[in-house]
Amino acid sequence: MLFNSLDFIVFLPLVFVLYWFVTNKSLRLQNLFLVCASYVFYAWWDYRFLGLIVLSTLIDYAVAQQLKVTVKPKSRKALLGLSLVFNLGMLAFFKYFNFFIESWVDAWDMLGVEMQVSTLKIILPVGISFYTFQTLSYTIDVYRKKIEPTANLIQFAAFVSFFPQLVAGPIERASHLLPQFSKKRHFNTQFALSGFYLIIWGLFKKVVVADNCAFFVNQIFEGSSGYSSAELFLGALLFAFQIYGDFSGYSDIAIGVARLFGFSLMTNFSFPYFSRDIAEFWRRWHISLSTWFRDYVYIPLGGSRGTIGMQLRNVLIVFLISGFWHGANWTFIIWGAIHALLFLPLLLTKKNRTYVSDTHVLVWHIPKLLLTFCMVTLAWVFFRADTVSIANQFLIDIFSFNGYSLTVFVQNSKSMLFTGIIVLSILILLVFELFAVQKNQKEVVLTKYSALIIAILICFMGVFKNPSDFIYFQF
Amino acid sequence: MRVFLKKIGFICVAVVVLSSVIAFFSLQSLKASSFYKPSFLANQVSEQQFDYIVLGASTGLTTLNTKLIDSIAHTNGINLAMDDTALSSQYLMLQHFLAQGKTTKYCILAPSNPSFDSKTMDVSDNDYRFLPFISTSYVSDYYKQFESKRARLLSLSQWFPMLGVTYYNTELFYPSLLGVLQPEKRNRFDDRGNYTYPVIKNSSKIIQSQSNLRVDFTNQYVEKIKRLCEANNIKLICYFSPVKGVTVISENNEYRCINHSNLLTNTMYFYDSIHVNYRGRQISSIKFAEEFSRITNEK
Repeated sequence: MLFNSLDFIVFLPLVFVLYWFVTNKSLRLQNLFLVCASYVFYAWWDYRFLGLIVLSTLIDYAVAQQLKVTVKPKSRKALLGLSLVFNLGMLAFFKYFNFFIESWVDAWDMLGVEMQVSTLKIILPVGISFYTFQTLSYTIDVYRKKIEPTANLIQFAAFVSFFPQLVAGPIERASHLLPQFSKKRHFNTQFALSGFYLIIWGLFKKVVVADNCAFFVNQIFEGSSGYSSAELFLGALLFAFQIYGDFSGYSDIAIGVARLFGFSLMTNFSFPYFSRDIAEFWRRWHISLSTWFRDYVYIPLGGSRGTIGMQLRNVLIVFLISGFWHGANWTFIIWGAIHALLFLPLLLTKKNRTYVSDTHVLVWHIPKLLLTFCMVTLAWVFFRADTVSIANQFLIDIFSFNGYSLTVFVQNSKSMLFTGIIVLSILILLVFELFAVQKNQKEVVLTKYSALIIAILICFMGVFKNPSDFIYFQF
Repeated sequence: MRVFLKKIGFICVAVVVLSSVIAFFSLQSLKASSFYKPSFLANQVSEQQFDYIVLGASTGLTTLNTKLIDSIAHTNGINLAMDDTALSSQYLMLQHFLAQGKTTKYCILAPSNPSFDSKTMDVSDNDYRFLPFISTSYVSDYYKQFESKRARLLSLSQWFPMLGVTYYNTELFYPSLLGVLQPEKRNRFDDRGNYTYPVIKNSSKIIQSQSNLRVDFTNQYVEKIKRLCEANNIKLICYFSPVKGVTVISENNEYRCINHSNLLTNTMYFYDSIHVNYRGRQISSIKFAEEFSRITNEK
């Protein structure tokens, strides 16, 4: 079920009413209801893959229970291994099986050996990368004795399948979200209202900013050879706003919906395009994933301890895995590698934490801000292109400076209209975000009247006829 | 909870009310403009009597140039074809034409050739252009008969105009703003409803292979259009427009036809596989004018 669908407009109020007015007498009933609602939400897309979530829930629940009573380090490791093998194995099969086969064949092909291997037609279950990472964090934390395993299966099932963040995050930690299922929820008007406003803001980012940008992005990336350098660069720039509006919009809606039910989810995006270097960008972009990799990959590898060589290795590994997490394609791995290369100079010069406490953007930060944005935008080309060679050619065409024509944006009345809507929507987005950055807010905070205006803008500027799927559903 | 429901209730109601007001005025602006064909017909076409009208889809719109036909056949015609429309829309356009108190001797039905036998029943992509006339029974009944989501949205727009106008915001809301500033502005067609595709390639190649398309007029709307024409003393002529490499064959004598499906046998006359370009339109229109003159001169 998509957040920007009519189905969800019916689903959400129905679940809200049943949650607060019918099942609120008992915590157990309320949690059970959330599990059922979450399963319905997921099954709306494809009920056949619901079994994977149930299986993942049961296995990790059982593993955690066993970890609680197992003392021997070897046995504990074996139990953790079971959870890792199951979750990562599931991910590897559904997401990476064909990629590995094709890469294997390509590698032999390069050596002159032709292989005839057929791939499988595998459907990628929506959200598999998100919920497997969420439940993995639970078993790893239980293994590390950072949290106590829950004995309540319903609470755990609700934690794994919680519908607002089930299919595209934020990837929650058990230590943050799970305890919320064990406490009686009391309706908090201000908290719920902030959630409602955040839903409106998230919809604006998705339906207005991202989906309108998609109009040009799809055209330019699908036939990049016929465009001028300026058009290609603007195509990449619009993709930067499309993916940001799309993904952060989803996260905002998810966080907002969770608040309606009394849950607090972690901030996933903190105005990343106001970053002054790549390190800051990664502290602001997809925070739930980058902190997951920090805690479960980077730090166990040694983090910033050890020799310079080890530090470089750790950073490189994390960025490459992060890229690969996004999709089974070399384009994502290269995207990760580019970010690693942009990050490493900061690490080597120990400037990677320059802006940790200083969040205010000042006038003299603008060149750094623009430079960071340009680097991020050019790296997005690999993220969006279908193949590495297409991405390479795209960048070559940008830097060949073969013309500054902007015909695609003004070629007919429809293009001019979309150009106008996009410029206006991006301006609105940046003004609201700049205001929030300067006020040191974690998110854009709307008032009653600004929410009303944004909602009306959604109605008349949003894309409803041919809406795009959320990009991160494919991950 | 009460405060929360009150506040979100306020926002939801305010959004619905304000959007509905904006949408209502947007439709009124479009109704008073000439941007789309239905409004153009109502506001900018002053004549009441025509020798012929062309109803159809993009093929009819871009193949038959009524100005050229009229200069040859000494007739008075208008092109009411709209791109991306099915026969059902053409039936609606005929109803709309008659509802304006206008009459015609002939109705040239020129949809895409396969439409004559299409079984698909849904609103067409450009049927939203009739939305400013939703208060008329023929338009509202038209939307009501279909069951798709977009048909329901259009149908419900009679009571909640925000539904249709926001769903088709780029097609309705923004042109309505233009309508306020330039009510005479038309959506690319000329003052007789004609539009042409440009010549984009100069390649000249004889089209060798020809496949056949059999037309049996099984689409229920052909019959409906015929009956509506008969009831209004209009003679119906079905027109098969030129298509690259496809010859239409029809053995049904119930309908009078002009078959130009294999008239053009060189790629230089085509914009794409089913649409002619400016050159193709010239030849087709001249040929049509000759044949139409013969028909009108028959006793």
